Amino acid sequence: MRRVGAPRSCRDVGQDTMAATFFGEVVRTPCRAGTEDQEEEEEGRRETAEDREVRRQLSRKREVRLFRRQTKTSLEVSLLEKYPCSKFIIAIGNNAVAFLSSFVMNSGVWEEVGCAKLWNEWCRTTDTTHLSPAEAFCVFYHLKSNPSVLLCQCSCYVAEDQQYQWLEKVFGSCARKNMQVTVLTCRHVTDYKTSESTSSLHSPFLKALKTQNFKEPPCCPLLEQPNIVHDLPAAVLSYCQVWKIPAVLYLCYTDVMKLDLITVEAFKPILSSRSLKGLVKNIPQSTEILKKLMTTNEIQSNIYT
Amino acid sequence: MASRYDRAITVFSPDGHLFQVEYAQEAVKKGSTAVGIRGTDIVVLGVEKKSVAKLQDERTVRKICALDDHVCMAFAGLTADARVVINRARVECQSHKLTVEDPVTVEYITRFIATLKQKYTQSNGRRPFGISALIVGFDDDGIPRLYQTDPSGTYHAWKANAIGRSAKTVREFLEKNYTEDAIANDNEAIKLAIRALLEVVQSGGKNIELAIIRRNQPLKMFSAKEIELQVTEIEKEKEEAEKKKSKKTTEFLG
Repeated sequence: MRRVGAPRSCRDVGQDTMAATFFGEVVRTPCRAGTEDQEEEEEGRRETAEDREVRRQLSRKREVRLFRRQTKTSLEVSLLEKYPCSKFIIAIGNNAVAFLSSFVMNSGVWEEVGCAKLWNEWCRTTDTTHLSPAEAFCVFYHLKSNPSVLLCQCSCYVAEDQQYQWLEKVFGSCARKNMQVTVLTCRHVTDYKTSESTSSLHSPFLKALKTQNFKEPPCCPLLEQPNIVHDLPAAVLSYCQVWKIPAVLYLCYTDVMKLDLITVEAFKPILSSRSLKGLVKNIPQSTEILKKLMTTNEIQSNIYT
Repeated sequence: MASRYDRAITVFSPDGHLFQVEYAQEAVKKGSTAVGIRGTDIVVLGVEKKSVAKLQDERTVRKICALDDHVCMAFAGLTADARVVINRARVECQSHKLTVEDPVTVEYITRFIATLKQKYTQSNGRRPFGISALIVGFDDDGIPRLYQTDPSGTYHAWKANAIGRSAKTVREFLEKNYTEDAIANDNEAIKLAIRALLEVVQSGGKNIELAIIRRNQPLKMFSAKEIELQVTEIEKEKEEAEKKKSKKTTEFLG
């Protein structure tokens, strides 16, 4: 394990060596000399009942629960099994959620059909029973006039170990026929790798990544290599690719990750896509709603002026 | 690779980057937009005002600050860092006046600020200042000046520039619209600054703050009413330009 600056001292303590870094912190570095006492090592690593209990409690804490808020009953089957749909639109991240709230959800009546509650280290509270919707829920809606259109607003972070559970509870483990999935999310522009100079990038900008079965032309250029997609959007796309579901991800690279008008408006080209076309009616009104959302959500931070 | 070389400011990465300085430039982008324009007889600084909390005293949230009677600056980035830099610059302005009995030139005080910023990129244990500044003023020779500094400690003279969020959009607008006609008189220069800001400001004129310095006159901050007047004029001019354009196309087609 290389550290900044060469270790200044190195003493053998049992199986590990101790090394001091440039800043004076003492860390354990694995000793490359190897060890003769293999048995001792194994004893230390054997799991006790206490370890198992701790592990069990932690996995219970991190479980993804799908339930109906109105009745407080949990869903026994996966969401798509209970509410099969032909169009599934998922917004991940606060800017994508704001876009769907102001442009799609204000046209037509949407009914909440379920919500996924999850806790992980990203939540600002350690209390897993009283979580606020904003930080730990993914809410699912369907259009009352056309229940085959399903929408998901996910503004919380779904950790790596929870993504598989989320997929199981939402999609289920069998193929869905005649369904198209659209995912919207944002990423910071510093994650975007390109050979051209980053100062010439005009952020925010939109990139698309689609599964093999998605035959429509996307509304923006495709994401170039070596850029990759992360977290829940990647999990959803991978699931759709494996189960041969046509799916497209619209990724907005922006330099403002908090709720921002210009970033949300960067999603506008998607309004012309087939999946959203019938759903958006009143664009000027949507812009007004969006502006209101911005002002109510402005967190007063005095750090930057 | 970047994560191994951004611990200590004094460490270069193998390909010659000082990552802390580059990250400081990202911090600047988190501040709201500021634009500076150098006219023939006037210098203009326009900033996007953040919305102030209900209970907060508006006068204490300032992006444009006077460094001396004839020099002022606007900044974008970390508020606290800006306060420290501004205080040091103000002291230097007075110290200079007392020592050599002449007010500082705009270039002198800019160089002072830039040198201060560079020092913090070359000592260990300290991080760079997370601000960029636009410094404007008139020298004794009556020539208007506009300088820009950034966290790395470089400074350059500009005819017009923007810093902060969406600075690129504003700069591109200025490149297209900064002409001799646009700065022909003071009013036109002021309008250019406001038009540049309106490109990126989210809620129109009420979130804009403007300051000007005219030759041999002290800094003047515009009131909200004066800015509204300018904005209405600009919108009227825009409407007339649109009408003329649509008339031309109908004539062409008709």
